[in-house]
Amino acid sequence: MTHPLVTPAGPPRVWDEQQDREALARTWHDPEGFLGWFYATTHQAIGKRYILTAFLFLLAGGVEALLMRIQLARPENHFLGPDRYNQIFTMHGTTMMFLFAVPVMEGMAVYLVPLMLGTRNVAFPRLNAFGYWMYVMGGIFLYANAATGAMPDAGWFAYTPLSGPQYSFGKGVDAWAQMITFTEISALCVAVEIAVTTFRLRAPGMSLNRIPLYCWSMLIQSFMVIFAMPAVMVASTVMLLNDRTIGTHFVNPAEGGDPILYQHVFWFFGHPEVYIIFLPALGFISAIVEANTKREVFGYPALVLSQVATGFIAFGLWVHHMFATGLPQIGEAYFTAASMMIAVTTGIQIFCWLATLWSGKVRMTAAMHFVFGFLFIFVMGGLTGVMLASIPLDLQSHDTYFVVAHFHYVLIGGALFPLFGAFHHWFPKITGRMIGERLGKLSFWLLFIGFNTTFFPMHILGLNGMTRRIYTYPASLGWASGNMIATVGAMIIALGGVVFIVNAIASLRSSVSAAPNPWNAPSLEWSVESPPPDWGFTYQPVVSSRSPLWADPALRTVVTGMRNDRREIMVTGVAEAEPQFRTVLPAASLWPFLAALGISIGFTGSIFAFSWYYVGAFLGALGMIGWFWPRPPKEIEP
Amino acid sequence: MSPARTLDVSALPPYEISNRAPLWWGQLLMAVIEGSLFCVLIAMYFYYRISVDVWPPPGVKPLGLTLPTVALIPLILSAGGSYAATEGAKRDDRRLMLAGLTANILLAIVFLVLRFIEWRTFNFTWASDIHGSIVWSILFLHTFDVIADLLMTAILIGIVADGRHGPKQRLGVHVDSVLWYFLVLIWLPFYVVVYWGPRLVGSR
Amino acid sequence: MMPGPQSSLDAAGSAARVTGHLLWLFVIPLAIIFVIVVAIAVVAIFRKHRESGRPAVETERGLTRMVTGASVLTCVILLGLIAVSVSTGKAISDRAMPRNALTIEVTGNQWWWSVRYLNDDASLIVTTANEIHVPVGRPILIRGVSADVIHSFWVPGLIGKRDLIPSRVTTEWFTAEREGNYRGQCAEFCGLQHAHMAMWVVAESPARFQAWMNAQLGDSANPVTPAEQQGQKVFLEHACALCHTIRGTTANGQVAPDLTHLASRLTIAAGTLPNNRGNLAGWITDPQSIKPGNHMATVPLAAEDLHPLLDYLGSLR
Repeated sequence: MTHPLVTPAGPPRVWDEQQDREALARTWHDPEGFLGWFYATTHQAIGKRYILTAFLFLLAGGVEALLMRIQLARPENHFLGPDRYNQIFTMHGTTMMFLFAVPVMEGMAVYLVPLMLGTRNVAFPRLNAFGYWMYVMGGIFLYANAATGAMPDAGWFAYTPLSGPQYSFGKGVDAWAQMITFTEISALCVAVEIAVTTFRLRAPGMSLNRIPLYCWSMLIQSFMVIFAMPAVMVASTVMLLNDRTIGTHFVNPAEGGDPILYQHVFWFFGHPEVYIIFLPALGFISAIVEANTKREVFGYPALVLSQVATGFIAFGLWVHHMFATGLPQIGEAYFTAASMMIAVTTGIQIFCWLATLWSGKVRMTAAMHFVFGFLFIFVMGGLTGVMLASIPLDLQSHDTYFVVAHFHYVLIGGALFPLFGAFHHWFPKITGRMIGERLGKLSFWLLFIGFNTTFFPMHILGLNGMTRRIYTYPASLGWASGNMIATVGAMIIALGGVVFIVNAIASLRSSVSAAPNPWNAPSLEWSVESPPPDWGFTYQPVVSSRSPLWADPALRTVVTGMRNDRREIMVTGVAEAEPQFRTVLPAASLWPFLAALGISIGFTGSIFAFSWYYVGAFLGALGMIGWFWPRPPKEIEP
Repeated sequence: MSPARTLDVSALPPYEISNRAPLWWGQLLMAVIEGSLFCVLIAMYFYYRISVDVWPPPGVKPLGLTLPTVALIPLILSAGGSYAATEGAKRDDRRLMLAGLTANILLAIVFLVLRFIEWRTFNFTWASDIHGSIVWSILFLHTFDVIADLLMTAILIGIVADGRHGPKQRLGVHVDSVLWYFLVLIWLPFYVVVYWGPRLVGSR
Repeated sequence: MMPGPQSSLDAAGSAARVTGHLLWLFVIPLAIIFVIVVAIAVVAIFRKHRESGRPAVETERGLTRMVTGASVLTCVILLGLIAVSVSTGKAISDRAMPRNALTIEVTGNQWWWSVRYLNDDASLIVTTANEIHVPVGRPILIRGVSADVIHSFWVPGLIGKRDLIPSRVTTEWFTAEREGNYRGQCAEFCGLQHAHMAMWVVAESPARFQAWMNAQLGDSANPVTPAEQQGQKVFLEHACALCHTIRGTTANGQVAPDLTHLASRLTIAAGTLPNNRGNLAGWITDPQSIKPGNHMATVPLAAEDLHPLLDYLGSLR
């Protein structure tokens, strides 16, 4: 590294690391106590909260799934009635997609990306806190409505006109539609932060071709969020909710509206959504594989470019969710070809990881078990996805258990297994405790076997004609045994989940503290102690390699000259990450919470009357004034 | 720890009021988010338009051109106020900032008043038919954003008038202009679509 | 796990048969790819490594060749699959439909199917519900519409799905190639009783089909026995007639299935129960416990009215 600002020779600068750490601690530590908890703006605190909250929703969604499996275990079962069953599958899909999968990926990124890029926080810490509060309040809003009887029952994509004012009564669907606004605001906040953090706050020397693959995944994912999420807000809030509450006609055919347009707008978001969940998981895979094969991931440019390509193609496939609506033939051929071609970009990534595993020295940690589980399950889900891209095959399997099997293979295999792998991989970093490897592997095997037992038979059930979203079925159709096997598998998954939780809690309580870099991994987050201090890096490293900790485990080139008495970070160039200027992040604050609370009050009221939007806007504006109002002298000094 | 080499950044400026600031990038991405929202709305407008023969639907008085066209003048001029404020922020010129921000807000209010007058001439609501639904959605969302940005501008006027304008706040003035430029720019396609669209694309 | 009457794996219709062939054209190569990928991954775990640390340049070069080759091969396989898929899609598309098709209009309702055999001669239009009879060998054009929400017409043994969408008309066609009874079910979630929105398609010889058509064209049978006459009176004087039609009587309600030839059908309540006297009795006395939330009202009947009503409905062949 020969940067003009680096002083290569001469007398070494003298500084007192202990003194610097104490100063940084005073500056970066969020307030203590119950109220202080609402002030937090460090990315680590917010990231951990995201992850924990999302796991609680995973638990809720999992319980809902078990209830469905119990109902379907036998034909003509009476465990759940049709109303309850429809509500539960709606809550399951909604919870998993909007309250678990996207937020948990955002949370992991909020925690990991600044550390991996070698900076001290995300670019907009208060926006980050605001996004988290919007997410929590959206989740509470949906479940509070459900608990008081307004449980949505129109499915997680709430097709109109079934979800419209004529066929869905009560406030359940309204709550569903507005919950999406909450969670999308949260996802958009994180997307903006992650994109700007990745572009502008990287450690000096971390040029574009040295960004960790996980951060690339998150950068691409952030752009997908930015382009996709507005569409779902249009679908759920502008079209559906306004039709229901103030009498617009977006989906009302009698007045020129069109229920098919709702599907177009929803899936214009809904298909990229799958990749929004899946791209971060690919980043986890790269990081885990790299650390556990002791070699750089093969084909770094190929991986990055194919993920960029995935990001583009993902916006051109939404119609394959709508083949059964009967579209013009030429459009169909295009969407078939595009849907299959996304398998090429995914295939290239799979081949790159296989090449890495093949040529590397594989160490089978619990996290690596989940990587292999990913390869098995996700590849199968991807291949059934190729089948579903074929229109004739889709017309037979659309909305059947074949599709249910397919998307669980893709989402659980493609996102949940990598996430669980990531959980085991970064657990020591985040908690400072080593995770139990034996129980981790046991939970892997239970989840892997349980998953395949549950979902593999569903392929056959679907081909045998079992449609989705039916609360019961007659014995005469030959579906009983497949369903019973699936239910047994679901119980095994539940057991795996219990082992997973027990392992996490036991590991937290264990006395085996984690070293900074227990896996000998190459990226920057492993250079700081576990768990990292609030400020991340006492001295920001200067990067001269794609695998900085392998090139120089002691990271002997560092940044000095940052002020410790305020939350300073460094802004670097987009391409070469050369230092440009310092900037100051705002201190901890209660205002993001208050702004989120005010807006939430407005959104909650909006499902009853439109005028509550104005209340929300007013309260939100008050919150924002407090948020931005500068308090001298610290916040206005140069 | 004894690092062999250091990169001393104490000489680097602590802030920069320019398009390199992270806040500017964040504001740009926020504009992209709203832009994609508005693109979806325009796509919807045309989807509905081409699925019927008569547009606007029978009984709807065609939208007048005069008021919205006249309203473009203060709207476009108001961007000049933003520009002046940005220049003031860069030079730390408090009076220029105040003048620019005030010009921006006053001209924008003229624009809004013209818009509200125009709305009184509409003989349809969002609940009349699909044309009303989509046109009102576009107008409402744009107006909402304009008011939100004006509120932000008003807060900045307060901050600058109170003398609390450090480099960070001046950067705020700079990026506030980014959002305003966006809102002015995005209105032009909306204006063409909503007001000229029914005239240019005749009924089938 | 064996194919039942609603399986797509036991195809008896033109569209379902070519799709079934396509399924195997996809499954076999994709299964081979799956096995290879998993095998490489598993071998990688146990493989003995000669080197550690950064791999040698020639190793990387070899890997590059392998990954490039595999990617190119993926493209080739996918292009082949796209080609067979698109050509199959063309073969079952509306443009490939032979002439002389029999047009059947299927209307989706929450939660039953209304069926009309269209004909230019209005007197030859047959209306029925939840059961479609088709002649083997003649192309059938399904003209799909919906009376309320989106439904999806699907008879896996004969043909794939087509959504029934309010304010739109969708079409698809097939030819039944083998006699038999094929079950179909609504495939788009349509509300509370989506699970109980099934139908049967009866594919039969042209002669038997014609006989069925002729029988369906006629008005309902006149009640003969005193009990049947009493039953008709019960039907017409209670709320039943407000929703149901029985041609040849004053009952002409339009919001529920046409019952003119109810007794000729295999099932009641849109495929929910076999059509027999006991099930019919249970259905009439308490429809909400059999299919909770469905739109059939519980009509209070005097105890002595039930059996005559069943006698009458049983006579509607």
